[in-house]
Amino acid sequence: MASRAKRQWPFWEIALVVAIFAAGAWSSTLSPYYLSVDQLFSSTRAFIIPGLLALGLAVVVSFGEIDISLASTLAVGTVALSKFSAAGAPLSVAAPIVVLICGVCGVFNGVLVAKWRLPSLAVTLGTMGAFRGLAFIVGSEVGYTDFNDAYSWLGSEYLFGGVVPASLILFAVAAIAVWFLMHRTIYGRRCFSIGLNPDAAWFAGVGVIGVKIAAYALAGAFAGLAAIVWIGQYGSARGDNADGSILFVVTAVVLGGMDINGGRGTISGVALALFLLGTIRNGMGLANIGGPTQTVVLGLLLVGGVLRPAFAAALARLRRPVESADAGA
Amino acid sequence: MSNPSTPALAEAAPTRNLVQFALRLREAGVVAFLVLLGLAFGLLNDRFLSVQNLTIVASSAAILAIAACAQAVVLITRNLDVSVGSMMGLAAYLTADWAANHPGVTPVEVVVIPLAIGAALGAVNGLLVAYGKAPALIATLGTMSLYRGFTYIYAHGQEVTSSRVPRWMLTSVDARIAGVPALVLVAIAVVAAVAWFLYAYPLGRRIYAVGSNALAAWFFGLRSERVVFFAYTLCGLLCGVAGLLYAARVGTVTVVLASGWEMSSLAAAVIGGVSVSGGSGTVVGAALGALVLATIDNGLVLLHVPEFWRMFIQGAAIVAAVAVDALIAEAIRRSTGGRRR
Repeated sequence: MASRAKRQWPFWEIALVVAIFAAGAWSSTLSPYYLSVDQLFSSTRAFIIPGLLALGLAVVVSFGEIDISLASTLAVGTVALSKFSAAGAPLSVAAPIVVLICGVCGVFNGVLVAKWRLPSLAVTLGTMGAFRGLAFIVGSEVGYTDFNDAYSWLGSEYLFGGVVPASLILFAVAAIAVWFLMHRTIYGRRCFSIGLNPDAAWFAGVGVIGVKIAAYALAGAFAGLAAIVWIGQYGSARGDNADGSILFVVTAVVLGGMDINGGRGTISGVALALFLLGTIRNGMGLANIGGPTQTVVLGLLLVGGVLRPAFAAALARLRRPVESADAGA
Repeated sequence: MSNPSTPALAEAAPTRNLVQFALRLREAGVVAFLVLLGLAFGLLNDRFLSVQNLTIVASSAAILAIAACAQAVVLITRNLDVSVGSMMGLAAYLTADWAANHPGVTPVEVVVIPLAIGAALGAVNGLLVAYGKAPALIATLGTMSLYRGFTYIYAHGQEVTSSRVPRWMLTSVDARIAGVPALVLVAIAVVAAVAWFLYAYPLGRRIYAVGSNALAAWFFGLRSERVVFFAYTLCGLLCGVAGLLYAARVGTVTVVLASGWEMSSLAAAVIGGVSVSGGSGTVVGAALGALVLATIDNGLVLLHVPEFWRMFIQGAAIVAAVAVDALIAEAIRRSTGGRRR
């Protein structure tokens, strides 16, 4: 059994890497400027904000729940940052508090979902509207743009001779941390075990409620980090920040091979899916393909990603006789 | 629990009554809430309870009631459709575009085209969810962007102005029959028809059966794929109706028509007592939920409350309704001696 597990190739991750290179090759035929180091690094900025949200969402999806309020939590974060900036608070004070506020938003979802056992989709759909409404109520309809430079450092600064965006390093650190959390710690195993069978996990002594609330809090906190990056990239805080970006986030998580019913998936897959989506989006931008067509492509990818298990099952059914002959030999 | 002997069976009868009572309570609760809300707004603003204003409320609730009804049909099967707004938008745009480019268009075409388009779009959702075994949220989130994207691509950023669509299309929805707007009558007729279908026809009962206990329905021999597929197709058809009415009401059809309605329709259905965990609730409740949302909207406008409060209240209302739903389910479970996981 162990040797079988060792021989299992991460086919999906390999397919994603191939797709990234294919998308990159396609992009390089569109524009001579595509294959430059500056361009490649700065194009990653496009998916860092949804990427941070996707990392948080992946943790929530690992135990079969969902959080579609994350983009609204980001808006709460940006509006909170604008309040701190207006009050003249330094970023070192504002950032932890904003991350905490967004974490509390996540805890609110988590308590409703885990402790009160409400369906996560309906709850986060409600809080999606409620948080965004809250951001508008707090921040008023007029956007805030007078951020001082310290606030935009994380999202706009380039390090290492002005090549690597600071936010990319933040994303890389976050991705590695979440990968470690999900694949190398007890907490991660507990998340996946809840996703596979919540009853069995509960009988095995997993504190289901605590694990779930912690994951929602983490997802909220990541939305807070994304809010800080947002300020650096766009320099504006308004209640409608990141409106509609949840489609990209969910697409990345599903395309990354996370089972939306929980229990299966890898963080590396999610990170690769983000790179793939970012590359495709960048390429379509170079090819002057309009926003609507990009949305259609994104929707097709999402539908394709979600039909993947059905395809895999059909393939497995086709391959079964061969495999059993293998096992016999 | 561990001893399913005859006494347990004897208790089954009062249990069923209690469940029915709770369900009845759920809709009665919506009506009571609506009355309270109406009285509160009436006290705060004397224009609210005027016949003219109540007619406005009913007209604005009418289209949402149909959309909520569409959403409810899918919710009852324990699924979800977030492409409702996009289906409405695409059906409305294509219909308005057809009417604008074919001067001699007949009313039959104008009614049949959006219904056919809506049913086809709903059937695609149904194929993905029922036969493709895709999770409802993800599949319809995908088609939501697909359908909206198609609308944008087809339209090339153009809108169909009200001057280009036939005059009768716009005036017919504003017509009044015995003082009641035709729009409201159509909505009542549609909701009543769907409610009767779900209540009295075998296929309607199967929609409930699949949603309340998929495993039991399977053991019973129901082909749940077909039922879910049908529910999505019916949802699309109803979205076609809603899209047509919306287009006729606003006159000028833009590509963003009815965007965000997936949220409003879901809010209306959930507030009206349709459970997101399937199998319970009625389309009449969903329509009442739409009326609650329209009342809140109208009241907030009359009270000069900024528009974004609506978003907050709508979201909070969904969470509250879901929580109430869970409390009722918990009470039923406790009274029937069911074990809490």
